[in-house]
Amino acid sequence: MNEPILTGEGLYKLIPQRPPIVMVDSFFEADAESATTGLTILPNNIFCLDGQLQEPGLIEHVAQSAAAFAGYAPYTRGESPKLGFIGEVKKFKIMRLPEVNEQLVTTLKVLGEAAGVTLISAQTNAGEETVATCQMKIFIKE
Amino acid sequence: MEKNELIEKINEVLAEEFEIEVADITPEANIKETLQLDSLSLVDMVALIESEFGVKIKSSELINIQTFAALYDFVNDNQK
Repeated sequence: MNEPILTGEGLYKLIPQRPPIVMVDSFFEADAESATTGLTILPNNIFCLDGQLQEPGLIEHVAQSAAAFAGYAPYTRGESPKLGFIGEVKKFKIMRLPEVNEQLVTTLKVLGEAAGVTLISAQTNAGEETVATCQMKIFIKE
Repeated sequence: MEKNELIEKINEVLAEEFEIEVADITPEANIKETLQLDSLSLVDMVALIESEFGVKIKSSELINIQTFAALYDFVNDNQK
């Protein structure tokens, strides 16, 4: 994995969330069709219970990863991120709940675009192991 | 892939994805009405065509693809 392009508070340039609900701490790479983000699960993460990141936390991580992906292109042009909405989450599969101190790496890919809606796939890994996959539809308000 | 074979395959994957009968698909039928697509689900068809046939449909091109016949022609003309 390459060094991140953005980390920590640098991510605030891409996403609207602020602590304690920030669920992406690294933005590794992106092009027009894909992006990779990361999150190290800290013990004080508000989505953790009994040392594990719970399902809503995984979904929020993927949603914020998608938001960061959508915000990256405007950021490179020196523009503010545009307002985006998640239109649908589907095929969400969680293989296991990640543990505190594990680093999640999520790869997003654009599957298609139509009528202002972008369909993306997301795969979240902890090390070599895939812990979650899903598809999301994102609508960006122009 | 020959065009007849391509048409058969397109109908098959669309019918399966959008849970309709292949017999409901005719060349002159309107795609959105037949597949019951709305502004959110239209992208599912675009993604399916790209994944199954390797043909990307841009939003600007989608405007001209209203019927299945137009879709068959577009995929046939743009297959690699």
